[in-house]
Amino acid sequence: MALLEVENLEIAVSTQRNLLPVVQGVSFTVDENETLGIVGESGCGKSLTSLAIMGLLGTSPVRITGGSIHFDGMNLLALSERERRAIMGNRMAMIFQEPMTSLNPVYRIGDQIVENLRQHQNLSHAAARDRSVELLSLVRIPDPSERIDSFPHQMSGGQRQRVMIAMALSCDPKLLIADEPTTALDVTVQKEVLDLMADLQSRMGTAIVLISHDLGVIAETCDKVAVMYRGKIAEAASTADLFAELLHPYTRGLLNSIPVVDRDVEWLEAIPGRVPTLEETLTGCAFQPRCELATELCACEAPQTTQFKPGHSVQCHFAGQDRS
Amino acid sequence: MNTLIFLRDAFAGRKLATAGFLWLCLIVLAAIIAPLVAPFDPLEIDPVGRLTEPGWPNLFGTDHFGRDTFSRAIYGARMTVIIGVGSVLVALFCGGLIGMISAYFTRLGHFLMRAVDVLMAFPALLMALVLITLLERSVVNTVLVIGIVYATTTARILFGMTLKLKGETFIDAAVCSGAGNSSILFRHILPNLLSPLLVQASFIFAFAQLQAAALDFLGLGLPPEVPSWGNMLSEERIYITRAPWLLIYPGMLIVVSVFSMNLVGDALRDSIDPRFKDDIAGV
Repeated sequence: MALLEVENLEIAVSTQRNLLPVVQGVSFTVDENETLGIVGESGCGKSLTSLAIMGLLGTSPVRITGGSIHFDGMNLLALSERERRAIMGNRMAMIFQEPMTSLNPVYRIGDQIVENLRQHQNLSHAAARDRSVELLSLVRIPDPSERIDSFPHQMSGGQRQRVMIAMALSCDPKLLIADEPTTALDVTVQKEVLDLMADLQSRMGTAIVLISHDLGVIAETCDKVAVMYRGKIAEAASTADLFAELLHPYTRGLLNSIPVVDRDVEWLEAIPGRVPTLEETLTGCAFQPRCELATELCACEAPQTTQFKPGHSVQCHFAGQDRS
Repeated sequence: MNTLIFLRDAFAGRKLATAGFLWLCLIVLAAIIAPLVAPFDPLEIDPVGRLTEPGWPNLFGTDHFGRDTFSRAIYGARMTVIIGVGSVLVALFCGGLIGMISAYFTRLGHFLMRAVDVLMAFPALLMALVLITLLERSVVNTVLVIGIVYATTTARILFGMTLKLKGETFIDAAVCSGAGNSSILFRHILPNLLSPLLVQASFIFAFAQLQAAALDFLGLGLPPEVPSWGNMLSEERIYITRAPWLLIYPGMLIVVSVFSMNLVGDALRDSIDPRFKDDIAGV
C-alpha cells in the first residue's frame, strides 16, 4: 500500500446557484522516497488538490465533494480535528509558494520552529532550540546559532524558504507537499532549494509531492509526473516514460512552449486559446477547443483514462498520434 | 530597551507631542503620589473659607464648601487615570475579543458584528447615559459604561484586521503545522494586532476623559463626593460669575490632558504606520 493514495478526488466551488466542479476524478499514489510532480497551468486545480490533502479547504466555499485521501492507511477526510492536528506538521508537512508571507512577522524564526517541535514532540525548550539550530544548519543557513534569533524580515526570500523547509522537516515528516516552492525565488536560489529538497529526501526517505508549472523543474527532480488540465489528470507516467513519449497534445504543447536558450526563434510556440472557465459546461474533452487533433468525437465525448502502456495513463482519444 | 528606542523614535522631532507625553507622565505621577503632594484633604470642608480667590495657601482657591481646589485637582488626576486605564482595558478586552472571534468564526461573526452595528448606531454619549441610568453611579460603573461604548469601535477595527491576517499564508502554515483555533487566534494573530491596539488604546484613553467629564457634568457619572475634574465643573458651574477660577482650572486640566493624549496617540500611530510618517511635520 502506498504512503499517500488519492482516489477519484472531486472538489467543487459552491456558488449562489450551483456547484462548479474544479477538480474531477483525480487519482494518484506516492510511495516513500518517491517524488511526484504535478504540473499544469494556473487554475487547473493542482494547488486545490494539495490544499485538500492538507485539510486547508475547511471553511472556504471550495469543498471536497467526493473521493478519498488515504495517508499511511488512514482516511484523512474522516479524521477528527484532534487526530488531524496530530498529523499535520508532524507526519505530513507543507511548504508554501510565498516565502515572504509564510512566516509570522512578529516572532523570531527560532521560536516558530521551536513551537512546531514542541507541539508534536515531547521536548524541553532547550532541546527544541538545539534541534532548531541543527535544522537550520541542515538547510544551510549560515551561522544558524546566530540566525535563529532573526526576525523573518531580516532574511532574504531564499533564506525564508529554507527556514520554511527546516520547519516542515522539523518532525521528520513522511510526506512533504511543496506547492510551487521555488516560483517566487530567482533561478540560482531555485536550484539550491531543489537540490536541498532532493538531498534531504535521500537522507530521510521522505515522500514529496512537488507542485509546479515548470516542466524543467519537474523533469529534474521528480520520479513520476501527473499533468493536470482543468481539474483532471491528462497524462500520468514516470518522468522517464513521459518525456520519452509525450502522449497528450496538451503535454506536448506545454513542452513546446518552454523557451530554449540556444534555439533562435522569433516567436515561442504557445498553446492557442485559454483554459475554459468553470461556468462553461463542456460535453466533450476539456482540451478540445485548443487541440490541433480535435475531431467531432472529441467535441461529443469526454475521453476516459486509458493505460497506453503499463504505468503510462492518458485521457485522450488520439493519444500519441501526430497531426499527420 | 526596545520600548525606549521605540518611544525615542516616535517622539523625535515632535516638540508638541513630547510636551504632551511629559504632561501625561506628570498626571500619572500626581495620581500615584496624590496624598503626598496635596496640601489639604480634598474632602475637608471649611465653612469660613468659602470661595476664596487663588493665592496662598489655597493655590487654586476654594470652592463653595471651602474645599481646596488644588488638592481636589490633584486627586482628580487619580480619577482621570483610573477612568482612562479602566475604560481602555474594558474596551480592548471586550471589543478585541468580539472582533477577533467574529472574524475567525465567520458564521458567529455575522450575528456578533450586526449586534455591534446596532450599538454603534447610538451616539456614544446617549448610549452611556442609557447604560448608567440602568446601573447606579459609581466609579466601577462609569468605567464599565465608557469601556462598553468604545468596545464597539475596537471590535470593528480588530474585525477587519483579523479578517485580513486570517488570509495570510503564515496562518495557513500554522494550520498545516497542527495549530488549534485558540493557538492560532491568540498566539499567531493577536501579536500581529498589538501595534494597532496600542494606538486604539491611546485614543480611547482620550475620548474616555471627555465622556467621563460629560457624564459628571450631567450628574450621571462619578458619585458627587468623588473629586474628579468633571464633578468640579458640574458642582461649581453656578459660581461662574462669582468665582470663575473654580471652573477655569479643572476645565483647563481636561482640555490640556485630552489634547496631550491625542498628540501622543498621533505620534504613536505615525511611528507604527509608516504611511503617516512626516505627514504633519513637527507636531
